[in-house]
Amino acid sequence: MKWLKNALHDKVAMASFTFLVLIAAAGIFAPFLAPHDPKAVHMDMRFAPASWEYPLGNDQLGRCVLSRLIYGIRPSLLWVLAALVLSVGIGGIVGFVAGYFRGRLDAVLMRLCDVMLSFPGYVMTLAIIGIMGVGLENILIAFVLSKWPWFARVIRTSVRQYAEADYVRFAKAIGISDWQIMTRHIALVATPDIAVIASSSLGSMILQISGFSFLGLGIQAPNAEWGMMLSEAREVMFSRPELMLAPGLAIVLTVCAVNFLADALQTALDPKLGRSRQKPQALVSALDTGISGKSGR
Amino acid sequence: MKKAQAGWLWGAIVSLLVLAGCGNENAAPSEPEKQARELVMAVSKDIKDMNPHLYTGSMFAQGMLYESLVENTEEGIKPLLAESWEISGDGKVYTFHLRKNVTFHDGAPFNADAVKKNIEAVQHNAAKHSWIKLSTKIASCNVVDEHTVELVLTEPYYPTLVELSMTRPYVFVSPKNFIEGETKDGLNGYSGTGPYRLVEHKAEQSAVFEANEQYWGGAPAIKKITAKVLPAGETTYLALQKGEVNFAFTDDRGANNLDVEAMNQLEQSGKYQIVRSQPMNTNFLAANSSKKESPVHDRAVREALWYAMDRELISKQIFAGTEPPADTLFSSNVNYANVELKQREYAPEKAKQLLEEAGWLAEQAGGVRKKNGAVLAMKLYYDVNSSAQKMEAEWMQDQLKGIGIQLDLIGEESSSIASRRSSGDYDLLFNQTWGLAYDPQSTIAAFTSKSSYYYTTSGIAQADELYKKINDVMVSTEEQARKSLYRDILNIVHEEAVFIPLTNGSVTIVAPKDLQGISFKQTQYELPFERMSFATK
Repeated sequence: MKWLKNALHDKVAMASFTFLVLIAAAGIFAPFLAPHDPKAVHMDMRFAPASWEYPLGNDQLGRCVLSRLIYGIRPSLLWVLAALVLSVGIGGIVGFVAGYFRGRLDAVLMRLCDVMLSFPGYVMTLAIIGIMGVGLENILIAFVLSKWPWFARVIRTSVRQYAEADYVRFAKAIGISDWQIMTRHIALVATPDIAVIASSSLGSMILQISGFSFLGLGIQAPNAEWGMMLSEAREVMFSRPELMLAPGLAIVLTVCAVNFLADALQTALDPKLGRSRQKPQALVSALDTGISGKSGR
Repeated sequence: MKKAQAGWLWGAIVSLLVLAGCGNENAAPSEPEKQARELVMAVSKDIKDMNPHLYTGSMFAQGMLYESLVENTEEGIKPLLAESWEISGDGKVYTFHLRKNVTFHDGAPFNADAVKKNIEAVQHNAAKHSWIKLSTKIASCNVVDEHTVELVLTEPYYPTLVELSMTRPYVFVSPKNFIEGETKDGLNGYSGTGPYRLVEHKAEQSAVFEANEQYWGGAPAIKKITAKVLPAGETTYLALQKGEVNFAFTDDRGANNLDVEAMNQLEQSGKYQIVRSQPMNTNFLAANSSKKESPVHDRAVREALWYAMDRELISKQIFAGTEPPADTLFSSNVNYANVELKQREYAPEKAKQLLEEAGWLAEQAGGVRKKNGAVLAMKLYYDVNSSAQKMEAEWMQDQLKGIGIQLDLIGEESSSIASRRSSGDYDLLFNQTWGLAYDPQSTIAAFTSKSSYYYTTSGIAQADELYKKINDVMVSTEEQARKSLYRDILNIVHEEAVFIPLTNGSVTIVAPKDLQGISFKQTQYELPFERMSFATK
């Protein structure tokens, strides 16, 4: 678990991680944290400025912006996270099976992935929305359907590499079942790789879902979502520009935090990258060749 | 990942620079001075097919290119391409004396033969035009002499002249543009007799119109009009500010593209004027009375919806007072619509009472009402491109929740809402009457048409009676009988509350300060550009 320790030492990563945990907690406990009902309309308070009762002011229907921002965490972050877990799950199973058993099964599964990957993600998502109609659920389904092959690909590669390791061969030789090898000996070492790719695609998924909601394809009114809040603010962009700030900053900060965390994870997991940050590149490569030379002998 | 991040960063920097650039240009002396002799207008969608015998094109552009025999004005029907006309005693034969020395843009003469060819071309595609009842009544069109035509109907039909005055389909295209003698499969050019000619059309970008110097009514003062496609209100606002465009009017969907406050800012800048027409139409909610499985089939529910709408508040808060509240489907200045109807003021208590009486009961206070296991929940469809509709919908949802009605909101493209209207797949949707030239006769005729309001009206108890009266009124020859039939028709739909009125819409124009002669037609779809001119300095 050295990589975890590495990650813990990285201050930016820790700050990002804490931020994300706080945001996620705020989303989960939204009914307790939000000062008002996010859907309650108060026409007499349209575009009211920030006040003690409404810390971030009111939107075009006099709804509490802060409450909408807090409730918006659910679709913007938590549901995306759920979709991510699901697609990583599917991708993980396929990847493990393909990478471990190889042969025909591998070929069939990978060709299937190729077919899915040959369509750009946005096109797939739009096609699914076109068939099933607009709505958050449909976008999440589209995400799961279009992302899993990518995860399967990456996970297969990393599993393959461990499946050939000597300790796995020994395990096979002494007759441990495939299931046990996969769960005990490979899953654990493959986890960091999976964590890195999952976290790095979370950022782009948050942006995508906000993008779709901005276009009116995602979550339906009057439910709060950051992209949709931005889209609503856009209509009064020149008379009330301040309305764009809250949802805009929320998206920017969250995506930044996710990306910093993903980067830190990657650095922590890849000792080469870690060292290259501290030492000049030439020295690192010299060291590398030295090491490989030694082991080659 | 690294590369992607760098990309984002660069994107952000570039967009900041671009925004900053916009700011600078605003400060610089504006451009409109240079192009003072022409109008550049922002339109929310492409003008599309300019064939006036089909329905995909933009009506404002078709109105510039083509003309009809007669014109619908505030004072009634006036001559246009026909200088005068006679109606036979039995109301079946209309004889038109055509204006002489009128030519199409391509030089072809406008004469009786051209009229006959055009009307016949329209009739050959009659199924497309079923919404306009005249298309089902024309028996023949005969040439009497070079400048006289005769239109023979199968039975008397009183709105004949009104329907002949509409922008489509009874307008005239040069017969040289016909393909194999027909117009239904397209045209090879768009030559009309109107004040402007189409000189250039770039799909989804722009269209350029130039003045027709040979126009029979005198060449228009504004020589060039360019229509630029700018779908979003914010871009239109920026373009107006920069002087990239200098004219905009509310588009034919009625989707108010520009935010009211943004418009006021433009006016305050001193460069623009804002002109609003008198109320032209009524925005309303159409309730699908024919949908038996939905609570909207229940008249009490529809009435409750009506009582629960605070139209004063919608008008004041959402439209900033630019659209007055509407109490009836047609405002009283519409022909035949000045009838006594029961007033349904904003009264949420009354709405609750109606629901209770009809058996819709709430299990607990504040919950959604139920009746025999059915939940009082309805779907409301709105145009995603109309921010006003979205706001209204969200506000209604909140209001109705208070009286135990659950409203689910679904935003869709306007074309998909139109197809829902014609297939009956909706509970409630936003719609508007078609404007002074079409109200009430065409809108009411559309009550019986599957492509329009058949599903809205067919589920009510007196549907058969209503349809019979609508058929009768269209062929009635006596003014008194017609009045009483219209009164009955309006009473039935009002009593049944299938059209829940919200506000009266009007046409809003943003134009350069020195543009004169801005006026309106009897419809929200077109403007008389030929009457406009720039003040000479």
